[in-house]
Amino acid sequence: MKNRLASLIASAALTAVVAFSASARAEELRILTWEGYADDQWVKEFEKQTGATVKISYTGSVDEIFAKMEGSKGADFDVVAIETSSYKRLYEQKLIQPLDLAKLPNYKNLSDVFQHIDSIQFDGKPYAAPYAWGSLPLIYDKKAFPTPPDSWAVLWDPQYAGHVLAMDDANNEISTAAMVLGFKNPFNLSDAEFAAVKKKLLEQKANVLSYYAGFDDGISIFAQNDVSLMFSMGEPQVGMLQKKGVDAAMTIPKEGAIGWIDCWTISSATKNVELAHKWIDFMLEKRVGTYISTQTGYGNTTDPEANQKIGLTYADKLVFFQPPEDPKRRVALWNEIKATPVQ
Amino acid sequence: MTDDSLSIGISAPGRKPVFNGPALFWFVICALPVVAVCLPLGLFLATGFWHVDNGTMVPALSLDNYVNFFSNPTYVSVLLQTLTLAAEVAAGNMLIGFGIAYFIWRCPPVWHFPLLVLGTIPLLMSYIIKLYALRSILGNNGFLNQALVAVGLFDKASDLFLFNQTSILITMGIIYLPFSILPIYLTLERIPLSLLHASADLGGSAWQTFRHVTLPCSLPGTVVGGMFSLILALGDFVTPQMVGGVKGFTFGRLIWSQFGMAFDWPFGAAMATILLVLSIGVIVIAGAIIKRTEAI
Repeated sequence: MKNRLASLIASAALTAVVAFSASARAEELRILTWEGYADDQWVKEFEKQTGATVKISYTGSVDEIFAKMEGSKGADFDVVAIETSSYKRLYEQKLIQPLDLAKLPNYKNLSDVFQHIDSIQFDGKPYAAPYAWGSLPLIYDKKAFPTPPDSWAVLWDPQYAGHVLAMDDANNEISTAAMVLGFKNPFNLSDAEFAAVKKKLLEQKANVLSYYAGFDDGISIFAQNDVSLMFSMGEPQVGMLQKKGVDAAMTIPKEGAIGWIDCWTISSATKNVELAHKWIDFMLEKRVGTYISTQTGYGNTTDPEANQKIGLTYADKLVFFQPPEDPKRRVALWNEIKATPVQ
Repeated sequence: MTDDSLSIGISAPGRKPVFNGPALFWFVICALPVVAVCLPLGLFLATGFWHVDNGTMVPALSLDNYVNFFSNPTYVSVLLQTLTLAAEVAAGNMLIGFGIAYFIWRCPPVWHFPLLVLGTIPLLMSYIIKLYALRSILGNNGFLNQALVAVGLFDKASDLFLFNQTSILITMGIIYLPFSILPIYLTLERIPLSLLHASADLGGSAWQTFRHVTLPCSLPGTVVGGMFSLILALGDFVTPQMVGGVKGFTFGRLIWSQFGMAFDWPFGAAMATILLVLSIGVIVIAGAIIKRTEAI
């Protein structure tokens, strides 16, 4: 009789333990991100710290992030890393929720430039934490330019006709032209500014050897032809060109350049707000920032020295992406420019 | 699945099978193209009549996308230029493809297969790799320029071969040539030798035999060869962009640009429908030409 009771208690206890550990195991963090942002060593450490399991889905494009988030109304993911200009759409579609800064003690690690990014604030609340950044700089061949060109105007200089590479990207081309023209907000243009940008880009077209599409495409054209200047898609292109034997360097001209920041945000339909905040707080640790810069070559938001080491010291000269006033209009204008023959 | 579904028309007396074998067989045979081809195609045709409102697609039917397209001179002229380009590629490939196919056909039969494989082996290579390869040959620091400078034909490397209209034609021609060679060779091979002998026996010269026997008999394949090149070139949104420089803007690229940032899938779908209708038009015309030649 006693034995039976003992075994009953034991089995009940066992059931409780199993049930408890099952519920502990059910703590799962589902991350939607780009490759290189949630590397194994950090995931493992986070899992050890919190006892949760992390499930990562990698994405190849912003379109894919929207498709996946919209498809499940956010329920399939807890945290997402995405670039600043996408936040307006995510916010309007109610796919994300504001961050609770009380749950993010590491938020103070953010460098000043990244404390108040307009495009990720709505109703006065921060919706995301900046994590990694980079720019769309001007790349030049040191053979042609012993000293770095100081203005984007070189892309229009007839002296370099046929030696200029531009980018097949409506938004980037239009925004950079707007900066060259000195317009106040390159992502929100008036009708008159649109017309001026069109004229400016048509003038540039006469100088352009080709519009490239993609990192590798730009590199291969640059290396195989007599190219001196390129409107670049990002810092890594410098190293890629050097590997191909081009004496390339980059600069942020005096007019400034477009910048991007990938930020962590929390899905509106997350099952675990606490855990999501824990992940973001973890990602804001300084050593994670150091790692980002040394491993990927992109800028980080928490360790200025690591940025300095790889030369990314110009965050304050960048105009960070915002949602353009009218994406369709930009694409239509760019198509018109591409379809107009040049003499 | 019950046993009934697997039986081939044999069932227990007095009981009708739910599915009999052939019925299931036909169901699968018909369902596959419906699910894999007709549904997606129907969805994309339908999308062309929708529009985007505030970042989401609204499935309300209207002709707006088509009106927008045809009322915009830029878009229409891009379409016409792309059609011209594709026709040039097709004409070139019909001529060159015929030349190569004819050469293979006139070689000793033991050579036919190896030569044909040689002619079509580029199809096994990734299309993007071929583009990069061609670009490295044609570029300013490329193989062609180096060779021409080395033999003294050119003083210095020239920009003649890349990022212009010529490079688009050369590259598209090379990439789509196998699609023209194959059908032309196949019709040539089907010409009975007795016909050629009869022509010669009746006193026809080599030229007359070619003109009145070989050419008409091979016309269906030649037309199909040209059609393949035409349709492939018409929808290509990568080649012109990659080798044509600022002149490489084509209709395919215009469609492509409606996805991504523009997020105007309905407009993209409408333009893709226009491309589809054009391609079907080309096939119908090619079919009519073939029918007429066969009637003669």
